[in-house]
Amino acid sequence: MPGIFVFSEDAALAKQLLTPALELKQALSQPVTALALSETDAKDLAALGAEKVITLQSATAWPEGLSEAISRLLSSAGASVFLAGGTLRGKHIAAHVAAKLNAGMSTDAKSVRIEGGKLLATRLHYAGLALCDEELSLPAVVTIPPRTFAPPQAAAHAGTVETAKVETDGRVAISDFSQAAGSGVDIGAARKLVSVGRGFRKREDLKLAEDLAAVLKAEISCSRPVAEDEHWLPIDHYVGISGHTVKPDLYLAVGISGQVQHVVGARESKLIVAVNNDEHAPIFESADYGIVGDLYEVLPLLTAAVRKNGGR
Amino acid sequence: MPKCLVCYKWTLDEKDIKIKPEDLSLDVTRAKGKISDFDRNAIEEATLLVEHQGGAVDALTYGTTAVKQSLKDVLSRGPGRVYWIGDNSAAKADAYVTANVLAAAIQKLGTYDLILCGEGSSDSFNQQTAPRLAALLGLPCVSFVLKLSVEGGTVKATRGLGDCTEVATVKGPVVLSVLGQINHPRIPSLKQVLGANKKPKQEIKIGDLGLAADKLQPRAVPKFERGFVTKRKNIIFKEANAAANVAKLEAGLATEGLQ
Repeated sequence: MPGIFVFSEDAALAKQLLTPALELKQALSQPVTALALSETDAKDLAALGAEKVITLQSATAWPEGLSEAISRLLSSAGASVFLAGGTLRGKHIAAHVAAKLNAGMSTDAKSVRIEGGKLLATRLHYAGLALCDEELSLPAVVTIPPRTFAPPQAAAHAGTVETAKVETDGRVAISDFSQAAGSGVDIGAARKLVSVGRGFRKREDLKLAEDLAAVLKAEISCSRPVAEDEHWLPIDHYVGISGHTVKPDLYLAVGISGQVQHVVGARESKLIVAVNNDEHAPIFESADYGIVGDLYEVLPLLTAAVRKNGGR
Repeated sequence: MPKCLVCYKWTLDEKDIKIKPEDLSLDVTRAKGKISDFDRNAIEEATLLVEHQGGAVDALTYGTTAVKQSLKDVLSRGPGRVYWIGDNSAAKADAYVTANVLAAAIQKLGTYDLILCGEGSSDSFNQQTAPRLAALLGLPCVSFVLKLSVEGGTVKATRGLGDCTEVATVKGPVVLSVLGQINHPRIPSLKQVLGANKKPKQEIKIGDLGLAADKLQPRAVPKFERGFVTKRKNIIFKEANAAANVAKLEAGLATEGLQ
């Protein structure tokens, strides 16, 4: 019997996947099966509307090592849709599954729906310059980024939970797991962000942004080069196509030129403010308000002005 | 001494793509081609590896007939030879078709210790090619690599997964995808550019790959592409007096009711 399958190794994201899965269920009249990595997660997913949850029991904690096992499971079940969490691990697994199912795959879909027996997924092209509706024949694989959907309400009847012993990929040995030196700050959840770019000449100068962030009660984020090339901020602080997508009330970009790869991560912000010394910097096209000027002069003045007005 | 194959895509440079205001369609007439950004990192990483340890780097690409424009560019970046499949099926190819074509070509070319791809292409950024290739070729896959070393036949790769890193150790042959932060791709010197002319370029005809018609039938078809436009106020203060600009910005923010 064909069905809709969901999987994410990230328990919160797995719950979010149930929301589009339950919408597809309406359109396709097919049951939703979730795959989980622990009994606890399985129970949660069953309570949120998955008809069936299969807990995958394996010898490894490496999710990518389950790619082939998940492919086989979906293949023998005759899956019509596989929604995977759009983490990097999830994309790896999903692409493997898509290859094995001879299926098309939409990466980082913002929405999914069924039209004329096919799946339509909306996603970005050209680093966010364009939106594209992709039409996938079934079976179809789709990855969905974190926080695209809210998790569904608890279902009237909890689904069933079963376990399956699965093989893992023994060819790859994983070691030295290390949580990136983050600050514990979740940029994606911040209400206000002061975001810093290459316009700062050295790391110590970020103090100017921190001072402003303090009076604004904002968190600090950055552009890719500040984290990846300069290592001035932890890698989990950068906003952009391969980093965070943020939707704060205020996104204040300082010394960020505003290439599309960056802006795509910030353009769903309610209000965008830019400070840059280059009048022609593309960030101003994406900004509600902007100041053309030297950030070393502008930031202290702005900090003082906000403080004088009792914060903002 | 590792034998490496780098797969790359010749894409339009998104910097030169304009959105037509009347219908939000994309104007690509001024867009030049480029080797996809992260594929350059893959080329650089394989080249560095071979410069240090010996071995060889070949390159492989599948594109429309325009892909010919990329051959000299890729050879000036390090690879000793390029195989190219120029076929207009590529214009509509999705990641399914692309992986089928590349995998069939690799099977024809023989064994490589390392097959490297960029994390995702600059245009569609599907991030699928490496895991799909590995699945089709029956090889292990280590994706999202930010540091790579090879000793004997063993590949050690540090993966960057956003909030964490981990080290994958695997015996080749293996398929890898690399992140942009793994290296800084070189800007080819004049000597490297001139040297590229002497390196072999070999065409592979898609018809010689023995692929069933179904394997060339895309599963994901772009239906409606339009520029992403958000309306912003674009109120920009650019007086010489920074204090005046700040005062106006503060007044502006006050009207937005930010708490």
